[in-house]
Amino acid sequence: MDCYTANWNPLGDSAFYRKYELYSMDWDLKEELRDCLVAAAPYGGPIALLRNPGRKEKPASARPVLEIYSASGVPLASLLWKSGPMVSLGWSAEEELLCVQEDGVVLVYGLHGDFRRHFSMGNEVLQNRVLDARIFHTEFGSGVAILTGAHRFTLSANVGDLKLRRMPEVPGLQSAPSCWTTMCQDRVAHILLAVGPDLYLLDHAACSAVTPPGLAPGVSSFLQMAVSFTYRHLALFTDTGYIWMGTASLKEKLCEFNCNIRAPPKQMVWCSRPRSKERAVVVAWERRLMVVGDASESIQFVLDEDSYLVPELDGVRIFSRSTHEFLHEVPVASEEIFKIASMAPGALLLEAQKEYEKESQKADEYLREIQELGQLPQAVQQCIEAAGHEHWPDMQKSLLRAASFGKCFLDRFPPDNFVRMCQDLRVLNAIRDYHIGIPLTYSQYKQLTIQVLLDRLVLRRLYPLAIQICEYLRLPEVQGVSRILAHWACYKVQQKDVSDEDVARAINQKLGDTPGVSYSDIAARAYGCGRTELSIKLLEYEPRSGEQVPLLLKMKRSKLALSKAIESGDTDLVFTVLLHLKNELNRGDFFMTLRNQPMALSLYRQFCKHQELETLKDLYNQDDNHQELGSFHVRASYAAEERIEGRVAALQTAADAFYKAKNEFAAKATEDQMRLLRLQRRLEDELGGRFLDLSVHDTVTTLILSGQNKRAEQLARDFRIPDKRLWWLKLTALADMEDWEELEKFSKSKKSPIGYLPFVEICMKQHNKYEAKKYASRVGPEQKVKALLLVGDVAQAADVAIEHRNEAEMSLVLSHCTGATDGATADKIQRARAQAQKK
Amino acid sequence: MAFPHRPDAPELPDFSMLKRLARDQLIYLLEQQHEVDKLYKVENKPPFSSSEQLCFLVRPRIKNMRYIANLVNADKMAGRTRKYKVIFSPQKFYACEMVLEEEGIYGDVSCDEWAFSLLPLDVDLLSMELPEFFRDYFLEGDQCWINTVAQALHLLSTLYGPFPNCYGIGRCAKMSHELWRKLEEEEDGETKGRRPEIGHVFLLDRDVDFVTALCSQVVYEGLVDDTFRVKCGSVDFGPEVTSSDKSLKVLLNAEDKVFNEIRNEHFSNVFGFLSQKARNLQAQYDRRRGMDIKQMKNFVSQELKGLKQEHRLLSLHIGACESIMKKKTKQDFQELIKTEHALLEGFSIRESTNYIEEHIDRQVSPIESLRLMCLLSITENGLIPKDYRSLKTQYLQSYGPEHLLTFSNLRRAGLLTEQAPGDTLTAMESKVSKLVTDKAAGKITDAFSSLAKRSNFRAISKKLNLIPRVDGEYDLKVPRDMAYVFSGAYVPLSCRIIEQVLERQSWQGLDEVVRLLNCSELAFTDMTKEDKASSESLRLILVVFLGGCTFSEISALRFLGREKGYRFIFLTTAVTNSVRLMEAMSEVKA
Repeated sequence: MDCYTANWNPLGDSAFYRKYELYSMDWDLKEELRDCLVAAAPYGGPIALLRNPGRKEKPASARPVLEIYSASGVPLASLLWKSGPMVSLGWSAEEELLCVQEDGVVLVYGLHGDFRRHFSMGNEVLQNRVLDARIFHTEFGSGVAILTGAHRFTLSANVGDLKLRRMPEVPGLQSAPSCWTTMCQDRVAHILLAVGPDLYLLDHAACSAVTPPGLAPGVSSFLQMAVSFTYRHLALFTDTGYIWMGTASLKEKLCEFNCNIRAPPKQMVWCSRPRSKERAVVVAWERRLMVVGDASESIQFVLDEDSYLVPELDGVRIFSRSTHEFLHEVPVASEEIFKIASMAPGALLLEAQKEYEKESQKADEYLREIQELGQLPQAVQQCIEAAGHEHWPDMQKSLLRAASFGKCFLDRFPPDNFVRMCQDLRVLNAIRDYHIGIPLTYSQYKQLTIQVLLDRLVLRRLYPLAIQICEYLRLPEVQGVSRILAHWACYKVQQKDVSDEDVARAINQKLGDTPGVSYSDIAARAYGCGRTELSIKLLEYEPRSGEQVPLLLKMKRSKLALSKAIESGDTDLVFTVLLHLKNELNRGDFFMTLRNQPMALSLYRQFCKHQELETLKDLYNQDDNHQELGSFHVRASYAAEERIEGRVAALQTAADAFYKAKNEFAAKATEDQMRLLRLQRRLEDELGGRFLDLSVHDTVTTLILSGQNKRAEQLARDFRIPDKRLWWLKLTALADMEDWEELEKFSKSKKSPIGYLPFVEICMKQHNKYEAKKYASRVGPEQKVKALLLVGDVAQAADVAIEHRNEAEMSLVLSHCTGATDGATADKIQRARAQAQKK
Repeated sequence: MAFPHRPDAPELPDFSMLKRLARDQLIYLLEQQHEVDKLYKVENKPPFSSSEQLCFLVRPRIKNMRYIANLVNADKMAGRTRKYKVIFSPQKFYACEMVLEEEGIYGDVSCDEWAFSLLPLDVDLLSMELPEFFRDYFLEGDQCWINTVAQALHLLSTLYGPFPNCYGIGRCAKMSHELWRKLEEEEDGETKGRRPEIGHVFLLDRDVDFVTALCSQVVYEGLVDDTFRVKCGSVDFGPEVTSSDKSLKVLLNAEDKVFNEIRNEHFSNVFGFLSQKARNLQAQYDRRRGMDIKQMKNFVSQELKGLKQEHRLLSLHIGACESIMKKKTKQDFQELIKTEHALLEGFSIRESTNYIEEHIDRQVSPIESLRLMCLLSITENGLIPKDYRSLKTQYLQSYGPEHLLTFSNLRRAGLLTEQAPGDTLTAMESKVSKLVTDKAAGKITDAFSSLAKRSNFRAISKKLNLIPRVDGEYDLKVPRDMAYVFSGAYVPLSCRIIEQVLERQSWQGLDEVVRLLNCSELAFTDMTKEDKASSESLRLILVVFLGGCTFSEISALRFLGREKGYRFIFLTTAVTNSVRLMEAMSEVKA
């Protein structure tokens, strides 16, 4: 371990930089990198190469080849480039490959070389051709910036939501700028370009000349510029071999360096880590790599091969034909622990643990030393942290062992950090594996988040690994396993060589009833791939009908959608389908469909009753539902029609419908009503007053009350009012008028069909005992007692009851005996009862 | 006199939680979301408000939407701009949004939902307060509320644990149950770990038993409902009851100590009980005499308030009783009851028919007459054609031709039908059964099915022994069975079914009854193997009445519970009675 710091290179007094190998590349490249158009995605993303980029003089047979590799050089895709000449390649934040063609068309490919879509950067670009293009990342997504042949810039800050912006003209720009870059400040994308000794900043409104503060004199041209990963810093390389480093706002200079190399560097990128004070820039020439920062010396490396730099959040990746390396500033924790002769608590703890393993008592000494200073918690923390930054599992383990050893001597040291680090490292080691080839550092991983990492694994179709990670980290199913299975299923439905049945079965077998898996999403994907039948099969597995229906509608399986909606019992859903059907089908077909779905029909009827009365009528018509049609018109006769003629006409239609429905009764009743309406109209004309809308009964009553006895009789005859009711009617009306004389005459007109008890009752209701008594005497024997009781003649009632020898009647009278006055009567009944019992 | 519960009767769950939940949500909606400061009742006239924002709290009905649309459009015409918010309770229907859209105001209003579906009216009574359910479902075949019922059940099961045993009868019951199950499955296992608090659930469609709901009620609570109309668990006692010149709104629930003791009593007992109570009260007041100062202080501070409260309640209920007596004797209540009993028992049908005819002749009450006709029809499997025609004619001539539609409604709902010759019926039946085999059609309540339904009341009554054999006088003070709620003449069919199923824990052996009820495929049992259910929870039974239940049924089941050591919890779409049932079916001129 003595040589552990062998690859550490100091830059100034305070920082070390180290470079280590990630992978030895196995990609068997035939060309030199310099002959290819190269694009590597950040966060350990894939590498795209375009061999033989647009050499126009070459014959068509030697078309360029676009190849995509993982960061470890595992081939992912290879395709013959058949489109136009390509200017630039780049990866979007979603790991989609953006290929900028000379004509301004951007083609978007997936990780596996699958064509996704294309878009154009506008007419202006098309006319003037693309001179240069950059793909850059902002907080909204990925942007494309283009320099056209007319030396104008066009950019879109987010290709997901394409809005082209043409940047203002740079005054007096005759040739292409010597170098340019995109910057992102305050959520706005800018372009910084260098023309000779001048720098210009372009935003969407204006072009302004800028000067970096403290720039050394004598600069006649800028050869290279670099913006840091987070857009905070800017570095400029001048033709004098001078490097200026400052803030991206160009307000402050951080440091400068003179490397005395005048040759233009191939690449220049920032190499810094978040929250570190150190600033350094990596400059690459053909065979030389230089790390410069705020120090008089620089670190120099020799490049054996043609190499390519990829800026990362916390360092720089450097890959060539044979290797893939990572260059970064040594993190503080690692530095503390491993710096030669470090007495930091972490360093001591690591030492203690090693001694402990050797069973040496030195372990105790070291431990004591830390404990005396009370620094054991920091020591453990340092070891955990440092482990995170180590690339090699052996080193990670040894640091974690030290941490775990130190933890034993601490009371109540929260274990979360330790456990989480172990888990994170396990995940990181798994994805760094050669076969997977995602060389994420711990900081990058934290920045990226596990969700995004899982998405990327899914994107690489590494479903089993993604699921294992979810299970290992115990992520909730909905966020984790289910989501991945759903992605897998969506991938599965795109395999067009497998039959619908097999795909559906395979998916169901794997997914089963996993919570959170939406079969309808998968079905939607299948439909998107043009596999309607498969989509329907998959929908069968969807337990929520609510999810099935919208897709079925989209697939124009409206009738199936309707029955699914009905099955779901959700009326809202049924209604949605209904309205859809209504617009989709012609009226006849729509009605026919409804006819077979009574539930939908009644729902629609309800709606029509309030909103579309005419449609309701049509519905009944088409069903030959004459009964309902009749009812419909009856309702219309009093709800919709105002004029009497209209009302009669509505009733006539109703009557016809009722005849058709073989409902003679209703038809007759309706005709009667027509007759009544006409008659009432006549009565109103002749007698004045209000008759319309009265019932037959009330019409007759009104007539009697207004003394029109003859007309009343006539009406009663016309409408065949039964005698009984007519008597009740007259009796009530006359009593209401208190026309006792007429009442008596009426009572004597013939024998009452309702007896005379009602007369007694009604008179008593009007509190006319005198009249009541008259009729009481005429009441038949069966009801005599009741009548007598009604008029309050208890004594006589008792006599009659006794005479009838009727037990029930006697009890009835008894129950009416109240107070002292009836005492004698009560006795009389009791005696009679006793007598009756004796017999 | 009030029957005490058996000592081992299970405790009722605390339903006040439902109230709190609903209240908090509403307050949140009104205050936080919409900043409402004043409430108006939605009536068919424009509200007097000059405020910048109108917020409507409405049932999701098309009629209400049109009202709102008219209002908004009127504002628009007047060039007035306001904000409009519509809060739908218990949920929003797509049809409503459609109407708003068709009326061109969808963009002007913002919608919200207040998921308030269960109002605890009492410790054991939850009401969804959806009186429209009955007409919507049983007449119009509109199933939109079934989802609401399922949601309500789901809410209960999330709050009070899963339901291990479910039984049900009726198409709506079956559909609600299925929908509820689906909801439970979708929301994976929130309730899985919970111990069930409610051991049994029984769902019952109102159309399984129309008879009980059509009878005059004679239990005190039912009578109060029939006479004064209980609304949302409270009643307006008019001046004739309060013996002052003011009306008084009184909450009727278990909190009211006096009411709690008489609510389930046959009316004939109530007066006696109240006078006894009055005497006791007097005696307690009288204790004052001969108290020393300390005792007196104690009395005033502790007992007096309670006594006064009791006194107030007592005088109210005595007033109510008097008022009921007056009304009921005026219309010859005894005669009416006698006729009803005759119909239930199936004798002297001719006399009963004549009685109904006379009832119309005398123009007593349109609703009452209609009710008696329905009762006659259901108990007799329809009216004989001659009576059917003549009664209808009498009725139409008396109360107006629009009732032609009422009769059509009643026929469709199977409440008032004509006895048809056998062959037509079977043809109908086969047509219906064909419909039922079709899976989708099986889920519908189509008008046809009720047309063909024979009520079979007589046969059912015999099978289930609904008419108790009377040996001597039925002692209403010490009831023997649930028949006491109808003076000992009839055991409510719905309650008998529930009793029988609970006894068997299934529908086994009731096949014939189920067939007679026309529910052959609509009676179900759903038991989950749940050994976590305590014996206590297994005696707690939630009865769900779809389409409403009457206070008589509630009293009958409370009685059954006391007998068997169960506790019943009632969930109903609304508390109903014969009048409400008939009004729901009646066609009225707007």
